[in-house]
Amino acid sequence: MFKQQYVALGALLLSQLMMPAHAAALMGFEDSAMLMTEIGRYNQEWMLNYSPALGHAIGVEQMRMSGKGEQATTISGINYTGLIKRWNLPLAQANVWFNGSVGEARGQYDGFAYTPSLQFDMESTRLYFLAKARMIRAPNMNYDTAAVQAGFSFYETGFNQTQPWFVIEAKTMRHNDPGLQITPALRLINKHYFLEFGVTNPWQGEGFAPRLNAMFVF
Amino acid sequence: MKKLLVTLMLSAMTPAAFAVTTIKAEVNGMVCAFCAKGIEKKLNALPQKQTVFVDLKSRVVALQLKDGQEVSNEAFSKVIQDAGYSVGKLERVNQTVEAIQAEVAKAEKAGSK
Repeated sequence: MFKQQYVALGALLLSQLMMPAHAAALMGFEDSAMLMTEIGRYNQEWMLNYSPALGHAIGVEQMRMSGKGEQATTISGINYTGLIKRWNLPLAQANVWFNGSVGEARGQYDGFAYTPSLQFDMESTRLYFLAKARMIRAPNMNYDTAAVQAGFSFYETGFNQTQPWFVIEAKTMRHNDPGLQITPALRLINKHYFLEFGVTNPWQGEGFAPRLNAMFVF
Repeated sequence: MKKLLVTLMLSAMTPAAFAVTTIKAEVNGMVCAFCAKGIEKKLNALPQKQTVFVDLKSRVVALQLKDGQEVSNEAFSKVIQDAGYSVGKLERVNQTVEAIQAEVAKAEKAGSK
């Protein structure tokens, strides 16, 4: 437990040190569709959205998670993503996003579910930072989540090349086991895809779990 | 003498009349290929497009127009803005995209030394 707190503090400090950041768009460009997925031992999620206008995307989302000794709960819903504010700077970009779904929970908990979230991210061609808070609620269910990510690219690349990144994420989820998930990951980005391979809590034998995140824009 | 005059006039007019037109811009916020894909896709969809060049390091986006075709600076800027970015410096140059690409590569090479 002490070790977990120590690592979380380290990740948080690291994220604070890395000021500007990279690649966490929650939607594509105008008139594009985006597919996002996260496949891990503790949570699984996928979302498909369409952006009819810059800054707005609608779609469908499904997420699955479970608490300590609980049966898994799956939330299926309609999702909306909105760009609240964007700063386009000469060498960086920063965004504030709203994202949320309304739908139905099934499994350990049943009923109307809602998942509003706020995300701030900042990125340059070399550095990346993201902070996100999300409510994940249904009757008697609370899987609220908070996460910070920070990373750096190994080198700059051209528009048609693949850029590798090292990213570390610290994430907490209420009633989830383990409650604190630290995921170091290798991220590969080019103009066609965004792929991230990580291992959650790699030092914790019991909690060790590979994780895959992917995004595609059409 | 008449012939000479005509030749001189033609040679003076030709470069201007058939000059390559490329719109070249510095784009703010363009830091990731995955996110900037929209710029390339939207510019490639323009019927007036000859070639498109996007470079993350220098933040340069260049659109070379087909001979005799025209895209206004406003229309070009709107494409960039619709993709989620803002235009810094914008200019029209009589250079091909290939020449701009070589120029950018040279500058990057010099900068990395």
